[in-house]
Amino acid sequence: MQVSSLPRLRRRLFWAVPVLLLALPLLTNEYTQFVANGMLIAALVTLGFSLVIGNLGQLAFANTAFFGLGAYASAILSATLGLPWIVTIPLSGLVGALGGFVASSAALRGIRAYYLAIITLAFGELMRWVYVHARPVTGGTNGLALPKETLFGFSLSDDKVKFYVFLLVAVLLIKATSNLLRSRLGRAIMAVRENEVATASLGIPTARIILMTFAWSGFVTGCAGALFARHVGHVFPESFGMIQLISSFAMVLVGGLGSILGAVLGAVLLTALPEYLRAFPGLEELFFGLIVGAVLLVLPMGLASLLRRASPLFSERYYRE
Amino acid sequence: MSDLLQVSSLGVRFSGLTALDDVSFTLREGEVRAVIGPNGAGKTTLFNAISGYVTPTSGAVLLQGRDLAGQSPHAIAEHGVRRTFQNGGLFPALTVLENVMTGLHAQTPGSFLDIVLGRRHAIEAEQAARAQAHDLLKLMSMDHMADHRAGDLSGGQQRIVEIVRTVASDPPVLLLDEPAVGLSPVARDQMLEIIRRLAGEKGVGILLIEHAVELVMSVADRILVMAAGKRIADGTVPEIREDRAVLEAYLGYA
Ligand SMILES: Nc1ncnc2c1ncn2[C@@H]1O[C@H](COP(=O)(O)OP(=O)(O)OP(=O)(O)O)[C@@H](O)[C@H]1O
Ligand SMILES: [Mg+2]
Repeated sequence: MQVSSLPRLRRRLFWAVPVLLLALPLLTNEYTQFVANGMLIAALVTLGFSLVIGNLGQLAFANTAFFGLGAYASAILSATLGLPWIVTIPLSGLVGALGGFVASSAALRGIRAYYLAIITLAFGELMRWVYVHARPVTGGTNGLALPKETLFGFSLSDDKVKFYVFLLVAVLLIKATSNLLRSRLGRAIMAVRENEVATASLGIPTARIILMTFAWSGFVTGCAGALFARHVGHVFPESFGMIQLISSFAMVLVGGLGSILGAVLGAVLLTALPEYLRAFPGLEELFFGLIVGAVLLVLPMGLASLLRRASPLFSERYYRE
Repeated sequence: MSDLLQVSSLGVRFSGLTALDDVSFTLREGEVRAVIGPNGAGKTTLFNAISGYVTPTSGAVLLQGRDLAGQSPHAIAEHGVRRTFQNGGLFPALTVLENVMTGLHAQTPGSFLDIVLGRRHAIEAEQAARAQAHDLLKLMSMDHMADHRAGDLSGGQQRIVEIVRTVASDPPVLLLDEPAVGLSPVARDQMLEIIRRLAGEKGVGILLIEHAVELVMSVADRILVMAAGKRIADGTVPEIREDRAVLEAYLGYA
């Protein structure tokens, strides 16, 4: 294979996946379509999370908060203000980005490692407290239902219709993130992870890079929140707690820290896994934990490292073993 | 030749300790100026104060007349004063080429939106930076290592890549903190050659911290001698050789 043709091949492969996925609703039933929709959402959540802990290398756990902010923003904007749901997606992204901005302020104050982890966890729990207590806006523990809606005459209650919207949003955000990571800004993000002091010595404004990464992570995750609101049709505070956090953390690790391909794979596999584990009632969590642990023992750098070894087609400039 | 950098009465105090005490000197275009002194003399602190990593408690740092004292490290680097680190500042997980490309960050065009949207001119800027980084590595005969992980290079190669990265943006002033430490004699000669070329061909003004006195004498135009945070001597190589204070305080002769 010619070296120069590799990027072109890779680009074709990238676009071939969503094109083939256009046919997926022909093959699914109601249940499998619902699971597939969840995979697209999980892929974006994992991507946003991986950006912060993998590429930027910050032990920050605020992404569940960004997800909840996006979901609530979408529900509030469409249920209360009557905005079409599709319009709430980018707006939810902006609300998530604002959350990222707030979360980054801790990192920018020099709070790092375990301290950053604790502060960002507290931020997530604080947001949950707000969802429960801001009852007039959020509906409290009862949550908030999204109104029934159509898009170009298609019902947004139909999972197959939702799938096409989710797919479009996911592909756009994944492509944009890939553009970001393959640029000088993506290099700067990794440089901050590797050696923040030396990064500044090259004229790179490290504070701005950290802020930008959190905000973009928040944007991607906030958009995913808007998809999630429509996916389940109803947002509750409990959806944005520790379980959600641990599950997306596992997806990041199983896929491979800092890898876009890994984020998608980790999300797909770990969204599917619990569905198979339903056959073992009462043992689901145990098996889930064992399987995740086993994968990480064999592949400490996740599935992305396996693919990368299999073919240069899967090597990513921003992913490091 | 004109003065590029003018450091006047620079002082740094760390709670109780005066690490830098009223240090003044100038650096000319194309000049290699060594900074020597025993461990703890304040040499690295002098670099940190000039490059913005510690805020000077007094004094001024003028780059071509513009005062840099108190600015942030990235702003000072963008103004054209770039440095290396005593303990090495490479990004180990990035490739050699990517390390050099980070040195071109500030001068590579393309806004966040242009980049995220994949606009053509942002992609072209990225490709141009890549080509330029390759050229810079070729100049130092390091291009064959371009795709290696920087952390896998030998100590000497890492020092050279760090310098290539630091001078990628053509800064007028370069601060090198013990670039030759731990190098083999061959690598050390190569390093000296690089320093001479940067000063001689590109007119870079270089401040060089170095403990090996014979190396300093062979490459420096002028030498600044420090001890206990103070400047104890400043002059050309022959002047420093004859200086009694230096002989006693530093070179260890009776
Ligand atoms: N950030 C800091 N906080 C407190 N003290 C410091 C700090 N940085 C340096 N010092 C102190 O300032 C003094 C000068 O240190 P510096 O690193 O500048 O010495 P140096 O001349 O570079 O020595 P060496 O040759 O060993 O590298 C030392 O006593 C050091 O402990
Ligand atoms: Mg030092």
